[in-house]
Amino acid sequence: MKDNMEKFKYNISDILELPKDIMMDLPKITLIGSIQVLISNHKGIIEYTKEVIRVNSNSGVIKVVGKDMYIKIILVEEIIIVGNIEKIEFLN
Amino acid sequence: MLVIKIWNYFQGYVIIRIEGLTLEKFLNLAVTKDIYLWDINRIGYTTIEAKVRTNGFKLLKEIVKNVGCRVNIVEKKGFPFLLNKLKSRKMFAIGFVIFIGLIFFLTSLIWNIEVLGNDKVSSENILSLMDEIDVKEGIIKYRIDTSLVKNMLLDKVDYFSFVNVEIKGTKLIVEVKERDLPPEIVTKDTPCNIVAKKKGVIEKIIARNGKSVVEKGDIVRKGQLLITGITADEMLDKNILVHSDGEVLAITRYSEIVEEPIEKMLKKETGNVYTTRELKIGDKGISIVEGEIPFENYIEEEKAKKIKDGEKKTSEVKEKILEQQEENKTKKVSSNQEENKVKQIKERNT
Repeated sequence: MKDNMEKFKYNISDILELPKDIMMDLPKITLIGSIQVLISNHKGIIEYTKEVIRVNSNSGVIKVVGKDMYIKIILVEEIIIVGNIEKIEFLN
Repeated sequence: MLVIKIWNYFQGYVIIRIEGLTLEKFLNLAVTKDIYLWDINRIGYTTIEAKVRTNGFKLLKEIVKNVGCRVNIVEKKGFPFLLNKLKSRKMFAIGFVIFIGLIFFLTSLIWNIEVLGNDKVSSENILSLMDEIDVKEGIIKYRIDTSLVKNMLLDKVDYFSFVNVEIKGTKLIVEVKERDLPPEIVTKDTPCNIVAKKKGVIEKIIARNGKSVVEKGDIVRKGQLLITGITADEMLDKNILVHSDGEVLAITRYSEIVEEPIEKMLKKETGNVYTTRELKIGDKGISIVEGEIPFENYIEEEKAKKIKDGEKKTSEVKEKILEQQEENKTKKVSSNQEENKVKQIKERNT
């Protein structure tokens, strides 16, 4: 049932060319070089250290690996991570 | 964002240190409660440092109880805390206010009165005149009515043809232009003679009052009597003194020497025009610069266009800059002399 709903939403947004991050409540990740990541539509932090930050979202856990990272701003919708970012992974 | 930083500074914020094992949970709860946290730094395995606004900090206390963390303040920053600090140092704050007040007060006084352009009337005289209407050193400059001072000086001193009173900072500048006194007007009752001002040959003489002494064709010297005010009455033996009046026309010669340089600089407009625009609000203007003026010599022409009438004087000023070119013109010396001759002949004829 839920899968069907997701599929319906995907199709609708595809036909109407609507942004999928809004229609399907998916995270939107914006990388600025390798110094800043902005994740909108997150669902909370799971782990926070200087080297690894794991953020929950609708499309799984986003794992950000880097050095000397810190959270610059955290809001309900957005999280901005600043530091030397090495990789971003999706863990399902 | 600088704006947010400034806003945070004025709101006041605290740097807090949170100790506990479930720090992620703490952060998530804080976010769901709409507490704005920023610059979250992990310091050790069980501690993080974060910045939070003062009103957010009060809300944090509930979360702390639920999660089981310890929160202590590391530093208080911002304007409200600075004010608190100042409250304990009242004299300092009072001193600061007094200092600013003193500066404002001292700059609103007139410290110096400068009189420019006077030659015949001494500065002391002008100052004493101004002193009479209470304009002197040491008064508050906002109370001076410059137009009143201007009119008073023009009214009281006949020598002044132009007076400008201006306040510049703490200085009152009185700029005057002097003139020669107009000749005294002889009233129609006082008896007088009319004498020749210049040497000449009399062409026509009409005496309206008094008696003409000279006739047509007479050569008169300078200062010679033309119409006398002393008239003899046939009935009386005594002479009657009258205010003589009349018209005397005479041929006379005015000579004038005009020096003309052989080489002359003539300024001529080249026809090139460069326009700049300026926005004027009241007296102050903001020029909308479009590069530098590409001419070396130029005249400025101003054309004001009112955008909106009413009390606000908002107008766009278009400045036209006309290019000027200097042209060397060499005149022939002989022609110059000829011209002068022609001039002289013309003058003689008139």
